[in-house]
Amino acid sequence: MSIPTETVTPSTKAKNGLWKQIVKNRWAYTFISPFYILWLIFGLGPFLFSLYLIFAKWGGLGPIEFVGLKNFEYLFKPGGGEVFWKSIGNGIILFFMYVPIMTFLAIVLAVILNSRRVRGFRFFRTLIFAPYVTSMIAAGFTFRLILEQDGGLFNIILNSFGLPGIPWLEHEWWVRVSLCLLVIWGWLGYNMVLMLSGLQTIPRELTEAAQIDGASPVQAFFLITIPLLRPVILFSVILSTMGTFALFNEVYTLTATPGGPLRANLTPFLHIYNTAFQDFRYGRASAMSYIYAILIFALSLLQLRYFGRQEEE
Amino acid sequence: MYVKRFSLVALSLLVIFTMLLSACGGGTVEEPAAEEPAAEEPAAEEPAAEEPAAEEPAAEEPMEKPSGKIVVWGWQSALVDTIEASGVLADFQAEYPDIEVEFVVTDPNDVYTNLPLAITAGEGLPDVALVENSHLAQFVHMGGGAGLSDLTEKVAPYIDSMNDYKWTDCTLDGKYYCLPWDSGPVVMYYRRDVFEAAGLPTDPDEVSAQIATWDDYFEACQTIVAETGAYCFAHNKANNFGRLYEIVLWEQGLGYYDLETGEITVASPGNVATLEMLGKFWEADLTSDNLAWTDPWYQELGTVEIADKPIATIVEAAWMEVFMKSWIAPGTAGLWGVAEMPSVKAGGARASNDGGSVFVIPAQAPNPEAAWAFVEFCLGREESQLKMFEVSGFIPSLETTYDDDLFDAPNDFFAGQNTFRIYADVVQRIPSAGIYGPNYDMMNGSVLNAIQRYAAGEVSAEEALQGAATEIQSNLE
Repeated sequence: MSIPTETVTPSTKAKNGLWKQIVKNRWAYTFISPFYILWLIFGLGPFLFSLYLIFAKWGGLGPIEFVGLKNFEYLFKPGGGEVFWKSIGNGIILFFMYVPIMTFLAIVLAVILNSRRVRGFRFFRTLIFAPYVTSMIAAGFTFRLILEQDGGLFNIILNSFGLPGIPWLEHEWWVRVSLCLLVIWGWLGYNMVLMLSGLQTIPRELTEAAQIDGASPVQAFFLITIPLLRPVILFSVILSTMGTFALFNEVYTLTATPGGPLRANLTPFLHIYNTAFQDFRYGRASAMSYIYAILIFALSLLQLRYFGRQEEE
Repeated sequence: MYVKRFSLVALSLLVIFTMLLSACGGGTVEEPAAEEPAAEEPAAEEPAAEEPAAEEPAAEEPMEKPSGKIVVWGWQSALVDTIEASGVLADFQAEYPDIEVEFVVTDPNDVYTNLPLAITAGEGLPDVALVENSHLAQFVHMGGGAGLSDLTEKVAPYIDSMNDYKWTDCTLDGKYYCLPWDSGPVVMYYRRDVFEAAGLPTDPDEVSAQIATWDDYFEACQTIVAETGAYCFAHNKANNFGRLYEIVLWEQGLGYYDLETGEITVASPGNVATLEMLGKFWEADLTSDNLAWTDPWYQELGTVEIADKPIATIVEAAWMEVFMKSWIAPGTAGLWGVAEMPSVKAGGARASNDGGSVFVIPAQAPNPEAAWAFVEFCLGREESQLKMFEVSGFIPSLETTYDDDLFDAPNDFFAGQNTFRIYADVVQRIPSAGIYGPNYDMMNGSVLNAIQRYAAGEVSAEEALQGAATEIQSNLE
């Protein structure tokens, strides 16, 4: 076998250089071809097709009718289009409700588990990571049972302390809190593992040196660990941003009416799904998808710019 | 060297194709082989279909009996627990030994996701699919009727013998696309013991007479709550999905759109008044807030002792009986009675529908002749419908079955009351209403949001429904 170890770097050579590289690395390309063949069929194909559909009206069967910018007009006038913006708003609200808490918890847990003082840290690491590999659908239904107003476990516990029950799934804001609980439970472990891998790249000597100079562990955490961890935090926050707008299984299973009371938990992803696969308006759903994608792209760019610049200073 | 290289290429190609094939899923790989021979039949079917229906009842095939394999999509309670358990499947196979029937048991929601995708792709289609009426029109209207088989000539013998309202959402431009299975006549179930404790009549006829209108119902509910402490019925606010609201609309022949003109009537004065009427029960705190089909709701229906606050009534379709008996509230046997539902205006209709289902045959079904033989055998034949009714309790849409003795049997769960006669009587009076239309899911989504907003006290009923109407209007453009 003679697979070259050198990977392809298209930017290093001129235009015929790229082709040369491909020819040179043909075996590597052959072996990774299942990925890009599948990606062409199931990734790029639908992507281009929906780009065509944003200017069209199509119900899945029959001719595709060209309607120009009608799908966008729909989104910017009173009526059904407002629901899409509401779902975007929900995404923003949910982001601010749980991402800061979850990210902070992930860092703190990672730092604790990274210091070798904790006995059995492997056990705790597994324990915190376990929900990530659990089916979110099963978890959603389980949370629904736990959070039931009458007879749910949480309210039984509250009642036993003489406190009134909370309408977890029956109120516009509480249902968001409930969703945040579920999402933090499910995704904390994943983010913690990201932070842990980031922490492992930070030399232990730095913190130790600071502590010798008289810094308290809390000071060392905020002044040394956090700044050095910034790229990983940034990565994790960007993933969480995308994840928030794309919440689906969680919001689908948590409440009886997907999206919850007063559409409080209707995420863009769920709304696009409903438009395409329940209402069969593929053109409109494609238009929403593209706006949604551009928005996520812009948000991620903004985060990169903001955090990235601070790092240089 | 060359040999080596060649084998390397062959190996890598093999690996790639295996991965591609496995990624595409097992189902599609098998299909071509099974489909090819049958694929010619749809073309041959069209001219052939006209002949038998035109001359004689389709049941007697003058030609050879259809053969081959058919795939039927549907859910457990219908396919396995009813068609198979009643022996109708065995009867069918005795009658048509050359047809092999395969049941694919799924959740209704999976049918509604997968069937349109299969119709769009023209691949992986079942020969027969079970569809609830709430979703039927959506499939009928797909591509202007191109998605399902036009059964106009085949169902002709059954048009008069099925419940008339069942054809509303089954037809498009005068063509028929389904054969109805069961109907959902709505009645009022009530607890005899709770009524007695509240000083109300307990005999079904007396209850029907005393609670004749929703105003009477309101008064009775006040009495029940005051006298027994039990809630009158369950009607959740925050997660309301509009079921009871739709039942009361349907009773009045109202709906989300006008059946004649197609005009959106979501915010019509009748609709607003209906929502306000249901709101009165909320304001007076006569209803429990338990959401239907959740544990607290089951518990409330299954509570025996009056001191433990059972639910006193439930206005729901006849299939509710099946679920109450079997798993929701078996412990309450003998405590319930069945009365007619109240009318909105004195002397108005006292019949409504909730649910019900039909069989459809996709336009590109691989084996449409055998599919129709199966559908007709199960749903068009009185004997089959009665056998299925006996095991399931689902009320057949086939009216000619109602003369059977089965409908006169006393019902132990209802203290020996003859309930089936009431269902059969109510079902023939159900008005047609524009609720289960081609955009039902979308309209229901907007309306339930409106109900939730109204229930939360955010806005008036009119404002809420007006908002839903604007939403629906713009969605339809």
